[in-house]
Amino acid sequence: MSRRSKITLTEEELVRGLRQREKVAAEALYSMYSASLYGVILRIINDEPSAEDVLQEAFIKIWQSFSGYSAEKGRLFTWMVNIARNLSIDKVRSKDFRNQTKNQGLENNVTFIDEQRNTVYKPELLGLKDLVQTLKPEQKSILDLVYFKGYTHVEVADELDLPLGTVKTRLRMAIQQLRKHF
Amino acid sequence: MEDIRAYIESGILELYVLGDVSPTEKQQVEEAALKHPEVKAELDAIEVAMESYALAQAIEPSEKEYDRVLNSLLVNLGDDRTFSKARTHTDDDHKVVPINTQRTVNFYKYGFAASVFLLLVSGVALVGLYSRLQQSNEIISSLRNQNQHFANQVNLMDEQISIFRDPSFRFVKLKGTPKSPASGLTVAWSQTKGKVMIDMADMKLPANDQQHQYQLWAIVAGKPVDLGVFDAESKSDTSGMKEMKTVEQPQAFAVTLEPRGGSVNPTMDAMMVMSAI
Repeated sequence: MSRRSKITLTEEELVRGLRQREKVAAEALYSMYSASLYGVILRIINDEPSAEDVLQEAFIKIWQSFSGYSAEKGRLFTWMVNIARNLSIDKVRSKDFRNQTKNQGLENNVTFIDEQRNTVYKPELLGLKDLVQTLKPEQKSILDLVYFKGYTHVEVADELDLPLGTVKTRLRMAIQQLRKHF
Repeated sequence: MEDIRAYIESGILELYVLGDVSPTEKQQVEEAALKHPEVKAELDAIEVAMESYALAQAIEPSEKEYDRVLNSLLVNLGDDRTFSKARTHTDDDHKVVPINTQRTVNFYKYGFAASVFLLLVSGVALVGLYSRLQQSNEIISSLRNQNQHFANQVNLMDEQISIFRDPSFRFVKLKGTPKSPASGLTVAWSQTKGKVMIDMADMKLPANDQQHQYQLWAIVAGKPVDLGVFDAESKSDTSGMKEMKTVEQPQAFAVTLEPRGGSVNPTMDAMMVMSAI
């Protein structure tokens, strides 16, 4: 298989192309976001064939309901990752999927995945990788529970037996930590 | 603005970006972002951070996933601008197809029932028509017989009338002998045509049995000449004129009762009627 040349467009160009339903926009969309979305999906689902199915579903849904996206409401990725996360969480909570993966503990899947595969080798991401490591463990666990497990902050507070305010503060601190690098 | 600052620091914007807000809170955040640029800027920063977080943990899906996803996105690109329209189309198709099938099924079902019904009806009609045809045929043949019968009778009558009208015929009434005084017979005789007829309808003779028959004689030059035999009371002979053998110059006619088939010479004892011309 030959590696495709990566197509990169500005977000504005991409959004315009997607509105026009251009083929090149669909290709750019995949090139630019498939890895990020797949990383989120696979961390939630922790099963490659199912994660690939959900990735396909997510792109179809993004493509089909693109008229529902408006740039005023936020970044394209935020809109897309919410679609991908919701589909993934639905999948994980479906009866079929629960029966299929009964034997695996879901709790440690985030680190499990990172131990298992060497994710993406991209020089420009090396700093970002470090950034993930700079998060304090209690910040990272709360962020991951919400981001990758579909927990609400209320559920996280119950789960970790923390006050609601503490959960919110730690979430905010974690994201602030991430923001320091931009 | 103090409360904007507090709103930002409450952490609600982070939860908004993570999709962990109620519809009401979502609306509030969106309104605030429209009204206050600093809220909008804060949201952008959070979004960029989360996007980077995702990118930092990105995992490349397998190569085959590219073709699978792109094909599923672009398969309808050529004919339909929007997927939603294409979907409505498919939904319509789905709605239409069962109805069509139902209609076809019903059509054949009713068609079959109608065929069976028509077959039964035509069978019954055929039986009815056949029996009426039989009746008609019977009536026709009986009418034909009757017609034949009448035609025969008319012919017979015509013949009789022509005989009666024919001036060449002489009618000789034979009278009963002392042996049978009540008997009588009319003989028609035409000298020019040499014909001798007996009028069976006007015959007054006792019925003969199976062993005997009446025999008509003509006396020619003093000698009896056989003119043929006949039955009295025989149904076919009881009406009309019966033609007998030809004779020339008869002097008298007589009838005797003879053994069946007739005799060469008349049995004078058994003479029933006679008359001289």
